[in-house]
Amino acid sequence: MSDFDDELLLDEESRISFVELRELSGLTEVELTELIEFGIFESCSGSGSEAWFSARCLRMARTASRLRSDFDLNLPGMALALTYLDRIAALEQRLRELECMLPSESGDHR
Amino acid sequence: MKYQDYYKTLGVERDASADDIKKAYRRLARKYHPDVSKEKDAEERFKEVGEAYEVLKDPEKRAAYDNLGSSYQPGQDFRPPPGWEQQYASGQQFNDGGMSEADLAEFLAQMFGGRHAAGGAQFKMRGEDYEAAIDLTLDEANRGTEAELHLQVPEVDAQGRLTRQAKTIRVRIPKGVTDGQRMRVPGKGGPGMNGGPAGALYLSIRLKPHPLFKPHGHDLYIDVPIAPWEAALGTSAEVPTLDGRVRVKIPAGARSGQKLRIAGRGLPKPGNAGAGDLYALLQIAVPQALSDAERGLYERLRDASDFNPRKRWS
Repeated sequence: MSDFDDELLLDEESRISFVELRELSGLTEVELTELIEFGIFESCSGSGSEAWFSARCLRMARTASRLRSDFDLNLPGMALALTYLDRIAALEQRLRELECMLPSESGDHR
Repeated sequence: MKYQDYYKTLGVERDASADDIKKAYRRLARKYHPDVSKEKDAEERFKEVGEAYEVLKDPEKRAAYDNLGSSYQPGQDFRPPPGWEQQYASGQQFNDGGMSEADLAEFLAQMFGGRHAAGGAQFKMRGEDYEAAIDLTLDEANRGTEAELHLQVPEVDAQGRLTRQAKTIRVRIPKGVTDGQRMRVPGKGGPGMNGGPAGALYLSIRLKPHPLFKPHGHDLYIDVPIAPWEAALGTSAEVPTLDGRVRVKIPAGARSGQKLRIAGRGLPKPGNAGAGDLYALLQIAVPQALSDAERGLYERLRDASDFNPRKRWS
């Protein structure tokens, strides 16, 4: 993402910089750095303030920011909540995939 | 101005202690937080609960709210009793327009928190980000579309008062968005302050159910019913896709639930990165009523075949 002027899909393919992730999420530099150290956000390339992330991280970072504000969570609490939310999202995705494979009709063909 | 029963919203009595109010808020905030709740109206309920707590957690705001009276119904138009403004508003004057347009919570927030940024610090501030969801058909996701969103958004008027305004926002949805995806649309949030940039709109994409296709990411699934003899002997069948029909070869000995991949016939991926796949899920459909001729043929097949589908149980 070159600047904030373009529409951005928050998916695995799009990229945002450390600075963009911080500015758009509302997290402080310290919070973001520590969440990276907790392994919540993994950079796609670079490190420190030069790191680049998948735009999906912005979705999680905004969630982190909201959870911190709404529940007064500290950093380990935020990290734990995000880990569980990420795990739930992965399970829901798997569930949707399995649901897709279920026949949607009763088999009454005549 | 519409009356809101904040005690009812939090499910506590009017004489509840500060601790009880805090506990009720925490319980409901956890239940309705949009990041964790699957309730359909979670976002709206979470706002209501937050609004109620914002007023009731503050002893001054709570006292002012209590002195408005308790004889109103939620949503009922009301005016504060005589002398109320002088007692709590520190001489601030609220004209009828401001009173009628403001939310009760915003009204109380302005009284105790002062007017919004007007007259305050003059530094540049980015506008507020908006969150919204949009329901698209699979066809709209496949081709991309333009859509209008009708939102109720907080806005500061010329007098510095925070009010809720109806706002129509036009957005362009690129082709190939998927169910559950989020999109950031810059400049479509609230206006910036003192020359700051506008906020962004964060849009959640939801795909409406389609009668034939079930989406999973960029892949699509479709049930393909086949006759028992087609499963045994193999055949070729026309299968619908989002862009017309394709002929698919069904191998002899096909199983129910077998997945056949039709490459590149799913939803397009962003940035011309190809497309997902379409999966044909074979479902062996058995006729529910047999003609005499069909029954006879099945009976001949039964007598002639030594196939035992439960062989590994013996």
